[in-house]
Amino acid sequence: MVDIVPLSSYPSYIDLLPSIQTCNITNLPENYFLKYYLYHALTWPQLSFVAVVREYPKVVGYVLAKMEEEPTDGLQHGHITSLSVMRTHRRLGIAERLMRMSQRAMAESHRAHFVSLHVRMSNVAALRLYRDTLGFEVEKVEDGYYADGEDAYAMRLNLQSMWLDWKAIEKRDAENNKEKNGEEGNEDEGEEVGDLGKKDAEKMIRVKVGRGLGVGDLVEKNESKA
Amino acid sequence: MPETLSSKDHSLFRQVVHHFEMKQYKKGIKTADQVLRKNPKHGDTQAMKALNMSQIGQLEEAFALAKTALQNDMKSHITWHVYGLLLRQEKNYEEAIKAYRFALRLEPESQPIQRDLALLQMQMRDYQGYIRSRSAMLQTRPGFRQNWTALAIAHHLAGDLAEAEKVLTTYEDTLKGATPHVADMENSEATLYKNTIIAETGNVERALEHLEAVGYRCTDVLAVMEMKADYLLRLDRKAEAEAAYTALLERNPDNSIYYNGLIKAKAIPESDHKALKALYDEWVEKNPRCDAARRIPLDFLEGDEFKQTADAYLQRMLKKGVPSLFVNIKQLYVNPTKRDVVQELVEGYLSGKATNGSAESNGDNNEFLSCTYYFLAQHYSYHLSRNLPKAMENVEKAIELSPKAVEYQMTKARIWKHYGNPGKAAEEMEKARLLDEKDRHINTKAAKYVLRNNDNEKALELMSKFTRNETVGGTLGDLHEMQCTWFLTEDAEAFLRQKKLGLALKRFHSVNNIFDTWQEDQFDFHGFSLRKGMIRAYVDMVRWEDRLREHPFYTRMAIGAVKAHLLLHDQPDLVHGPMPSGINGLDSTDENQRKKALKKAKKEQQRLEKVESDKRAARKAAAANAKGADGETKKEDSDPLGNTLVQTQDPLKDAMKFLAPLLRSSPQNIEAQCLGFEVYSRQNKHLLAVKCLVAAHSIDSSNPTLHLQLLRFRKSLDSLAEPLPEKIAEVVNAEFDKLLPKTQNLEEWNESYLSTNKGSVAHVQAGLSGRQFLNPECKPQCEQDLLATLDSSDITIDEATAALDILNKWGSDKTAYAEKAGKKWPESSVFELN
Repeated sequence: MVDIVPLSSYPSYIDLLPSIQTCNITNLPENYFLKYYLYHALTWPQLSFVAVVREYPKVVGYVLAKMEEEPTDGLQHGHITSLSVMRTHRRLGIAERLMRMSQRAMAESHRAHFVSLHVRMSNVAALRLYRDTLGFEVEKVEDGYYADGEDAYAMRLNLQSMWLDWKAIEKRDAENNKEKNGEEGNEDEGEEVGDLGKKDAEKMIRVKVGRGLGVGDLVEKNESKA
Repeated sequence: MPETLSSKDHSLFRQVVHHFEMKQYKKGIKTADQVLRKNPKHGDTQAMKALNMSQIGQLEEAFALAKTALQNDMKSHITWHVYGLLLRQEKNYEEAIKAYRFALRLEPESQPIQRDLALLQMQMRDYQGYIRSRSAMLQTRPGFRQNWTALAIAHHLAGDLAEAEKVLTTYEDTLKGATPHVADMENSEATLYKNTIIAETGNVERALEHLEAVGYRCTDVLAVMEMKADYLLRLDRKAEAEAAYTALLERNPDNSIYYNGLIKAKAIPESDHKALKALYDEWVEKNPRCDAARRIPLDFLEGDEFKQTADAYLQRMLKKGVPSLFVNIKQLYVNPTKRDVVQELVEGYLSGKATNGSAESNGDNNEFLSCTYYFLAQHYSYHLSRNLPKAMENVEKAIELSPKAVEYQMTKARIWKHYGNPGKAAEEMEKARLLDEKDRHINTKAAKYVLRNNDNEKALELMSKFTRNETVGGTLGDLHEMQCTWFLTEDAEAFLRQKKLGLALKRFHSVNNIFDTWQEDQFDFHGFSLRKGMIRAYVDMVRWEDRLREHPFYTRMAIGAVKAHLLLHDQPDLVHGPMPSGINGLDSTDENQRKKALKKAKKEQQRLEKVESDKRAARKAAAANAKGADGETKKEDSDPLGNTLVQTQDPLKDAMKFLAPLLRSSPQNIEAQCLGFEVYSRQNKHLLAVKCLVAAHSIDSSNPTLHLQLLRFRKSLDSLAEPLPEKIAEVVNAEFDKLLPKTQNLEEWNESYLSTNKGSVAHVQAGLSGRQFLNPECKPQCEQDLLATLDSSDITIDEATAALDILNKWGSDKTAYAEKAGKKWPESSVFELN
């Protein structure tokens, strides 16, 4: 029995990191230091998921995902760093579930406009999953993307349909504030606080986009391109 | 008196600092030299120069200069701070903390020093120190949320949940009702962090209340749903818990915990299989492609219900041609009835007994057939349903139908492995690899099988097909850098089997270093995670790091490393390389033969060293300055064969580097405790030895290894050359008497062990070893009895292989045993004596 669980949100399965790294280096030529996995797990804990056989426990698949840190078009979007399922556990729908979980989290937690990924042009099975099952579209071909010289399809999928309804949340905020302030007998101020909150928010979003927050020091190079 | 700088030089000095901050280290050094030309003894400048040097790989020179700087100016916070930073780079954390403290005493208001001190305190888990540092930092800059969060983390990890919550609440109150925007992730995470702290106090009611008040605006939606469902169930609020788990399943029907939660919430009794099945069926209907809801009922259903459901499940998967069917089914085999039902069903599909209209006569039938043969091949290869000739028969048929299927060929290799023929297994796995040379998974398997056949060189060559071989150290260097623990461990174990102890130790140490790196890796996150605000994940990471070496990868490596050190201690000749068995053995008597073998081994060692240095020279010529993945120039390993490790004066002391963390992290591992005894008893550390025996005894009092150790320890206590110090003797005797009383007749005790455990070959082997140990004259009879265990229908090939080691220890002739075993397992190669 394979369970799909979050890597480092709640409940945390961060203990599985060494096994995830082994799963990766067993299956794929693009490998990373454990610290790079930690970097994903601690920067975007909502986005990565693991497929685990609980009995042993054994990692049979994972998706390692992130948000693009400096999107060139300014649009917040997610990116699949690495996805793999053990050959012994193919065709159980594991990769699809891993992807769907990550995509949803990108939309909800980070309001990602879309998710992007790269896939080897020769990898028919993966292409079928991304394009036919999940609905990704080929954005372009990247020549010689992989270390061995193979080209990649750059693909993306729009996620906006899964965004949280911020208006509804703000409405509930406003109601809460009203209630609180109502108790104190000052209804007008409640309205105003709600409005102010909104303006602050817009400002905040603009600031947040593309702000490195000191990530640079931690980012390690992607071996696949080295 | 420290020198004072002219205003021009002072501004130059400021530039040095600036260069360092901008990571322009070479410029920094140049500018520092300018200052030092006029002020050769200016401590601060020397210190800053040293700091710049340390960043470009000149740590040793940097250290010397930093010390001079300190001598020139003991009263400067800069010289102390830099000295601390260098100590930290060297991972001498305790001394670094002291240096920072000095610096801070000289400059109490310095934020950078305070911050660096705090980071190290966290790394060292000095929570009280961390609380002090964080309180000070908060007082200086209370406007930053992360300063509040950091103090809360300090209290939380120190175990003071109430104080941690209070700190978080105090910050929230400063917001005075101005609700942060929903996009504020830091706020969202801090809110959920506070909630987990409340839940950890055990007051689930309050945690739920808090979550309901604030959870709607947290953007980690899945986490909020999980927490809520968990709280509701723990509070026994069944109806709401049911709704919560239903919602979770709607998001992700592939998580058994959600189904368990839902079943508890609906209060369906475990025995009510009908209701349980109906519940899972509902989810199958909602998610026809989801495996979990179809598969889980097989765990609890019994009898006819099981058979029917299993039939439907197996047929569906076989028709779809799902190659992972068997790995998904084998967990059921702990129940022999289910195992037999599955076997009967799948065999039935082949003989045309397939039920309810599966008789499709189209081309798909071929796939169905080959999948079915493949399933049976795995089934008969699995240890709980093993019948290797049948496995082979089925796999051949599957291969005949689909000669290009990698999985089928892999299974054939595995069958050979189970036959006890690693050479043939590696050969067959290589055939599988050639079917899909671009797939790393099959390449990995092929390399692993080659290692099991002790061919380290060939394995590395296979691995090189997917590594960056231009790295310093070539393929192996890249595997190190990418922290490929599985390969390094298997490589080490293969060297250990061949008694090539230098290389075995080398690899075990490599894996150990990787664990050290993983522990070190957390350092940067102490600051980083505060900036990012992802506090829950950070706290989980810190706690995981504290139990890092509980990981099975570590346990396995450490056990191997301790064994290698023990072997080196017992057979010091192995320092020169492997020697033919029997000569290395404890039974070696012929001094001439020994000398001859030694000479041969030394010659071989010299040859290897030559090969290695040639390789290095070739690599050097090929890539004058190869760089590692992190862009740093890496140095060549000066001891690739592990000579310095194997030439140790005290192998037992070196073993402690592995044994101590092993016993600390995995006290419940009986093999670890038994190895602990072996090391401590050789060191005459009786107290620690008995402690291991007590621990092992409480895990499994009849463990075969332990049994023999108890006998040995009793004998050695009874015949000490000089008595133990009184106090130690008292404890050792009292503790050991509980395991094996002094008054006990040992022969009787051993015989009773034999008769109680006569059903298990491993136990019988231990009992016979006990008999031989207590009474060496009965060796011929013991050999006969050991030989007779081969007639047991239960004996496994691994147990028979272990018997060869036992005969080695007895100094017995292995021929008769090996011959008989070879006949019993005609396909095996492990009983061929060379």
